[in-house]
Amino acid sequence: MNAYKFLRPDGSGVFTGFRWPLPGRVPGAWVRADLDPCHSGIHACAPQHLPLWIGHALYEVELDGEVVDDAMKLVASRGRLLRRIEGWDEQAYADYTRMCADRAHELARGRGLQNWDAVIEPSVPEGGALLGFVAARIAEEVDGETGYHRERAGQTEWLRDRLQLSS
Amino acid sequence: MSHSPLHISCQDVVELVTDYVEQALPAEEAAVFEQHLNFCDGCVWYVDQVRKTIDVVGELRTEDVPVETKVKLLTAFRDWRRE
Repeated sequence: MNAYKFLRPDGSGVFTGFRWPLPGRVPGAWVRADLDPCHSGIHACAPQHLPLWIGHALYEVELDGEVVDDAMKLVASRGRLLRRIEGWDEQAYADYTRMCADRAHELARGRGLQNWDAVIEPSVPEGGALLGFVAARIAEEVDGETGYHRERAGQTEWLRDRLQLSS
Repeated sequence: MSHSPLHISCQDVVELVTDYVEQALPAEEAAVFEQHLNFCDGCVWYVDQVRKTIDVVGELRTEDVPVETKVKLLTAFRDWRRE
């Protein structure tokens, strides 16, 4: 199955520092790992997981072997990078961050949450991962877990539309 | 941990960091922990410092500690136990 994976700008893993074989005209080499979610394995995202792991470089990844699908990520025993998602560039990252900040303002001001509203703009330089979380947290403050998940779903839709994600 | 299963706070990170670096957290908690690290540079720095400290302290042998330092430490520990 195909999925997505955020890496650092140099192509290394965000949490492991692993140097992924990058794709060029052909996919990158297969990488194998024992499957033990969060400890070992090829970690990747279905579209609904993307807002949880926002980073600066996004790749489409092919997963093979055993694949575990949990609430926050996919984990597989084999994977290789197929292509970089070129649409996820610095402008898209900035636009996503702004969209999340605007949503956070809308949610906070609509419910008179001035203390929450005050933290939004100072957080913008920290980027999309934080602003996506802030918007979801404010939604949770307003509507509980349902609000949190609804906001994350909205972020997923924004990413799907902007990046024309197929799966 | 905080009451929500969806996220943790920086305080939670401080409490869970040892289990995280020792890979002793259950998978779900580890995922929430890493999700926090994904947007919190301060906690990334903190976890990195803990990892480095463990690496350095793990390399220390008893004979590496100067006698003077050993005496100071033992005195401090004795005084601490009296309090």
